[in-house]
Amino acid sequence: MSALTIAFAGSRYRFAGLNPEQLDLVRSKFDALLGTDDTQPDVEIDVHYSPNPEGFMRRPAGPVEYRVAVVHAEDSVAVAGIGFTANIDRRPLRAQMQTCLADEWFVGAFENLFRVVACYRLFSEGALVLHSAAFTDGARGFLFCGRSGAGKTTLCGLADELELGILSDELNAVTTSAERLELQAMPIAGDFGGAPSAHPPYPLTGLLGLAHGAPPSVDRCSKAEAVSRIVASCPYINADALLVDELTSRAAKLVERMPLRILSFAKDTRFWSVLNHEYQSQHAALSR
Amino acid sequence: MSTKASTQHYRVDPHARFRVMDDEGIFVLQDAGEVLVVNELGAFIVEQLKAKHSLDEVITSITERYAVDAERARLDASSLVDELLQAGAITRS
Repeated sequence: MSALTIAFAGSRYRFAGLNPEQLDLVRSKFDALLGTDDTQPDVEIDVHYSPNPEGFMRRPAGPVEYRVAVVHAEDSVAVAGIGFTANIDRRPLRAQMQTCLADEWFVGAFENLFRVVACYRLFSEGALVLHSAAFTDGARGFLFCGRSGAGKTTLCGLADELELGILSDELNAVTTSAERLELQAMPIAGDFGGAPSAHPPYPLTGLLGLAHGAPPSVDRCSKAEAVSRIVASCPYINADALLVDELTSRAAKLVERMPLRILSFAKDTRFWSVLNHEYQSQHAALSR
Repeated sequence: MSTKASTQHYRVDPHARFRVMDDEGIFVLQDAGEVLVVNELGAFIVEQLKAKHSLDEVITSITERYAVDAERARLDASSLVDELLQAGAITRS
């Protein structure tokens, strides 16, 4: 059995107990994020392979989108999906995974658990992980929060046409410091796809929600709506009774530092000139 | 139109959290990971319910605060309470 470490957003996640097939699958998927230092990881995840599929959620005949089951308890969080179950200890943050998978389905199970663990790790570090699309023009980072159907993948496709750098169309993190807000790509891509790659943090320039509409516009919204959009976009944490109050407070502080705007857009690239102008203007105002 | 018992009391559901922000209110529904926003009047109604006032008392407070007649206040309050009950944001107490 072997181990590997995945590093991103300042944290190292060490996965131990992988059999050779699992190791190869994870390595090929997360190659760009593999760390070389296995000592003192921030989170340890032990994988236990049990080839007997009895007791696990059965795999369907074909590709399927499903919701991973997450149950929050006082000391731990239980996670279950196709072919795996897991238990995440809150303190210290660590996880144990049981799985009957060692083929391409294992990658999906691995990502499903990694997604939850990373959300908890980053939240413990003061960050917010949001269901969101994010892209950069190389200097500025823009984040668009929204749940399934909000238009995240569509927007990423349009941004890609404009040769903007896509971070993720599913999950991105906002980290805060006294000086600035930063946008961190999560190594989880949604429908837009792409292998995880190492991105530097980008200064968070625009924090937006999405709406469908033409012509494109960037509009204000109330603080309550802004906070509600952010809280609704923070998976796992927003359903955790022990963390939801802290999450709401953190979201309120975030929108006080950077007001959330609503981008209305249609399926064309005109949104970018509106967005670019909106945040160039803001930058100029801040510079005076 | 809803015909709720005027003495009925309500409270925020144990699986929900409510917070007022700039006059508007936010419910976080933990089980679903959903969030609801209520406007200023809605936030006022929920705050009154949280303070253990009956629906009838809340309606009286609305007429005093917003200068609307009792029928209008009852309609607004009952409608909101129905929606919040259905969403699992509040429960009867």
